[in-house]
Amino acid sequence: MSFSFLLPIFGIGLTLLFYALARRGGRLKIAFLNPVLLAILGIILFLKLADISFETYNRGGKFLTYLLGPAVVALGAFFYEKYEELRKDLKLLSIAVIIGGICGVLSVVAFLLILDLPDFLIRSLASKSVTTPIAVEITKTVGGIPDITAGIVIAVGVFGNVFGLYFLKKMGINSKKAIGAALGTAAHGIGTARAIEEGKIPGVYSGIAMCLNGIITAILTPLILQLLL
Amino acid sequence: MKQVLKYLTDLFSRRRLLAFFFILLFLIAGELVTYFFNLPVAGNILGMIFLFFALKFRWIPLSAVKPASDKLLEFLVLFFIPYGVGLMVYFDLVKAYWLPLTIAIIASTLLTLYVTALILQKFEK
Repeated sequence: MSFSFLLPIFGIGLTLLFYALARRGGRLKIAFLNPVLLAILGIILFLKLADISFETYNRGGKFLTYLLGPAVVALGAFFYEKYEELRKDLKLLSIAVIIGGICGVLSVVAFLLILDLPDFLIRSLASKSVTTPIAVEITKTVGGIPDITAGIVIAVGVFGNVFGLYFLKKMGINSKKAIGAALGTAAHGIGTARAIEEGKIPGVYSGIAMCLNGIITAILTPLILQLLL
Repeated sequence: MKQVLKYLTDLFSRRRLLAFFFILLFLIAGELVTYFFNLPVAGNILGMIFLFFALKFRWIPLSAVKPASDKLLEFLVLFFIPYGVGLMVYFDLVKAYWLPLTIAIIASTLLTLYVTALILQKFEK
C-alpha cells in the first residue's frame, strides 16, 4: 500500500509547524532571527537530516505557493489603505521611490555584470529590493530561478532591517519620512517592519514605498534586462 | 477542539469567501490581460494594480475585499516559504559565487537606501 497521497499534507504540515515555531522564536525580537528566515533554514535542515528531497516536500509546498497569486492581488488593498492614510506628499514620495527603485535594479545588474557573474544569477537577483511574492513573479517573467530570488530577497530585507537605519543616520539622513521611504524601497516588508518601530509616519511611508517599488520594478525589470543583457 | 472549530468557521466565513472570490476575479482579469496582450508583467501583479485602481476610483468598496485580503496578507510569508526552501536545490550552484554576490547585493541595497532617502530629505519642506 502506498502512502503517497499523504505527501502534500506532509509538505504543508511541515511548513506550518516550522512557521509556528519560528514565530515563537521571533518574539525574542532579535532581528537576525527573522521568523521567515528561521522557518526556511529549519525546514532545509530538517529535510537534509531526514534525507528527504525537496521534490517530496514541494508536493505539499506548491499548494501554499499557489496562494501567492491571490495574496499579491491582496497587496493592492493594503496599498490602497496606506495611500488613503497619506494623500498629501505623494508626488515627492513617488519620485523618490521611482528613482530609488530604478537605482536598485540598475545598480545590482551593473555590479553583477562588473563582477562577471552568470546570466541566470543576474536574472534571479534583478528584483532583489521588492517584496518576495512580487520578486518571485518578476524572476519567473525574466527567466531566472525563483528559488534563488526568494532566499536572497529575504536576506536583503533582514540586512536592511538590521543595518539600514544605522547606515542612513551615518550618512546624515535624519528625516523620519526619508528613512521610512528608503527602508520600504530597498528592504520591502522586512525593512518596513523596522520603519514601523520608528513610528507611524515612517511606517506608512515605508508601506507605500514597498508597494510602489514592487509595481515599478515589475514593469521596468524586463525592459532593463532586455537592454543590458 | 472547540476553539479550533471556531477559528476555522471564522476563517472560512461566507463574508471572507465572497471577498476571496472578488480577489480571484481581479487575479483572473490580470492573468487574462497578461495572456492576451503578451505583457512581460505577471498576471497577479496586474491584478494588484487593477484592485488598487478599483478601490481608488470607488468602483468597489474596501469592505468587499478586506476580509480576505487581510487574511491573505497575514499568512503571506507562509506562501513563499517553499520557494525559500527551494534554495537548497540550488545551493551548490550559488555557493561558488557567494562573495561577489554578497558584495553586489550589499552595495546595491545601500545605494538604493541612500538615493531614496536623500531625494526625500532634500526636497521635503
